Amino acid sequence: MRTTYAARAVAGALAALLVLAGCSSKAQDDDGDKGDGAAAGEVKTGDGISGKTIKLGVLTDMTGVYATLGKSVTQAQQLYVKQLNADGGVCGYKVALSIRDHGYDPQKAVAGYTELEPDVLGFAQFIGSPFVAAVKQRIDGQDKGLVLPQAWSASLLGSPYIRVIGSTYDIETINAVDFLIKEKGIKKGDRIGHVYFEGDYGESALVGSKHMAKESGLAVVEQKIKPTDNDMTAQVAALKKADVKAVVISAGPRQAASLVGVAAAGGFDVPIIGNNSAFAPQLLATQAGPALTKNYYVASPSLPIGADTPEARKLVADYKAAYPKDALDNGVVAGWTAAYAFGEALKKACASKDLTRAGVDKALLTIDSLDTGFGIPQDFTDPNAPSSKQSVILQPDKSVTGGMKVVRDAEASEVAEAYAPGA
Amino acid sequence: MSEVLATPGEASGTPRPTRRRPAWLTRTRTYVWTACAVLLLALPFYLDRFWLQAGLFAMAAAIGAIGINLLTGSTGQLSLGHAFFLAVGAYGYCVFAADGGGGDGLTGLGLPTWIAAVLAVLVAGVAGGLFSPIAGRLQGAYLGIATLALIFIGQHVLFNARDLTGGFNGRDVPPLSLFGLTFDDRELVVADVPFGSAEKLWYAGLVLLLGCALFARGVLRGRPGRAMNAIRDHRIAAGVIGVPVARYRAAVFVLSSMYAGLAGVLLALVFQRTVPDYFGITLSLEYLAMIVIGGLGSVSGAVLGAAFVSLLPQLLTRYSDALPLVSAPGTGGIAPGEASRYLYGAAVVAVVLFLPGGLVRVTAGHRARTHPGEER
Repeated sequence: MRTTYAARAVAGALAALLVLAGCSSKAQDDDGDKGDGAAAGEVKTGDGISGKTIKLGVLTDMTGVYATLGKSVTQAQQLYVKQLNADGGVCGYKVALSIRDHGYDPQKAVAGYTELEPDVLGFAQFIGSPFVAAVKQRIDGQDKGLVLPQAWSASLLGSPYIRVIGSTYDIETINAVDFLIKEKGIKKGDRIGHVYFEGDYGESALVGSKHMAKESGLAVVEQKIKPTDNDMTAQVAALKKADVKAVVISAGPRQAASLVGVAAAGGFDVPIIGNNSAFAPQLLATQAGPALTKNYYVASPSLPIGADTPEARKLVADYKAAYPKDALDNGVVAGWTAAYAFGEALKKACASKDLTRAGVDKALLTIDSLDTGFGIPQDFTDPNAPSSKQSVILQPDKSVTGGMKVVRDAEASEVAEAYAPGA
Repeated sequence: MSEVLATPGEASGTPRPTRRRPAWLTRTRTYVWTACAVLLLALPFYLDRFWLQAGLFAMAAAIGAIGINLLTGSTGQLSLGHAFFLAVGAYGYCVFAADGGGGDGLTGLGLPTWIAAVLAVLVAGVAGGLFSPIAGRLQGAYLGIATLALIFIGQHVLFNARDLTGGFNGRDVPPLSLFGLTFDDRELVVADVPFGSAEKLWYAGLVLLLGCALFARGVLRGRPGRAMNAIRDHRIAAGVIGVPVARYRAAVFVLSSMYAGLAGVLLALVFQRTVPDYFGITLSLEYLAMIVIGGLGSVSGAVLGAAFVSLLPQLLTRYSDALPLVSAPGTGGIAPGEASRYLYGAAVVAVVLFLPGGLVRVTAGHRARTHPGEER
């Protein structure tokens, strides 16, 4: 008795299911509504464009560990989009950003990607290389939208759709060590210290310093730290004991300030160079300020925000007008550059009348020297290489906007030129 | 997977007193359940991938929450190490299932994926078993402190055992493949609806969750459940009436870590990549929040709490633009991300304040009031 009722119930449910499924909006239509509108002379459009709006996704971090970076990058991109729309947009389409804050939480990041992906043409920002790696299969396999990550890990290279802007951390570190060798008298046989974060940023940088050490006959003394370690006294003592002649730091601004301050206080007078994330202008107001201006350098993938170019001055003025309360840091440059690159790709795609995802991907591949006014031309023609191998060496300086001045212009060392990322 | 699926058959047979006549046919409850089941089965045909993925996260969380509810809610043993066992399950599955010769140079045994899933759950159980000498001897908050160590050890291993875990970048999760059906993104068209990995996994998740829930219900309603509650309520009295306290505590710990392992496998399959950052102390605390919010000591409480805790932040983030007082990011004021966190916090406080027994009390109280009328 029971079984017959149950069987009937199940059969009924299945039948209902099939009937219902027939009228689902997810069901595929045979005529296919995508990719039409390609009538003679018209611009071909696809995912991410509805009506007269092009939607771009932004997956940022405004509440997690990269909150300061995420805020600057996002505001700079909003500024770019505002100006782009004021100039008439792209092909008569307005550009809009869909912003989701994932707070550096993998679950929210993947959920944010899944949510935005069907509605956007591509992503102008995606913070966190582990999360980009998490959706890489989907980007490469089916979605095929352009993603510009705000992460410079060498492991992200190689995809035609995920394009890293500027040099990756390993190349930046090679250039930093090159600066130490050429300008700071580090020679063959010397030891250099490397203080680095556990995780994608620090460990990518370590790959670079080890590679450079092998090429130039140096020895690297490693000191791995966690993002929660703020006091570098132990690291300084260990490096001093190991008799290093210079120190590379791939950590946050706080760690850099502690390292430089403690080293200076202990009379440990060696040059210290950091990656571009290892400095924030706010540090100059702290007790470590004088030591930072004396003995600290930063390798950066672009000129600083306070650079003396017309574009940089305009960006500073516009950004200050739009966000008077917020600090100008290198996140602004990074966000601006990424949005600019995406904007240029859109314009190129518009010129060839193909604003589909494939069209934008193709358009970016034809851009070989994009100059955003920050010193380093970006070359997007090779998906296996970052868009530039050059780094600028900066030194903290209180008197300049953004707190940094240039001590060595954009340059790629020979080792960096010959280096194949990920090899 | 299979050992979890094999058991509920016998477990579900026990608690059914109404065998004489199909009295269940006249109960509204039966129809509510049927409606729910049909709804859940039909959802993949309608919902976007975002919603299915959110649902899958909730299902995985529910499985894990049932496990920790057995331990914390029913036996009174606090564990802060649940995230560790989730990680063991997730990474275990990757190691067993991945093809070792892959381009990433990570260790992989290349086993059939369903065996890998079963083995991953077993390994999580073994990990719990290795900890059980401690789990059997410590009680309540003391166990909580001891399990805290697991989180830190786990995080260290995940970041540094490069060959196994892929380090900070995590590793790819091979798609599950069962009876020739592969749960990946290759499209399978069912009744004109394209089925990707989320749609296929939805059904796998439902089956696993049902199996886990029925098994846990069987455990709780049977002899072991009474023994566990006795240990929670009065350890010495339980010992005096003949319950082997240490053995029970250790066994429940193993069982709960196996549940966590299965939740880890499902999560890994949904994420398609395991990332070490995820398996931190926050995740453990979220699981504790789930069972407190849902209701301690019951299976439905764990499931309700898991749905609440894992869906609410995603809902709030998605619809935060539409909430009052929220401004677009970058214009000052409360950003959507922050707003969703405030609201989530407020909701948690409200539930704990006004529903001290958890969300499950709402439905249970309702049933208690309406039951006599129904029984007629």
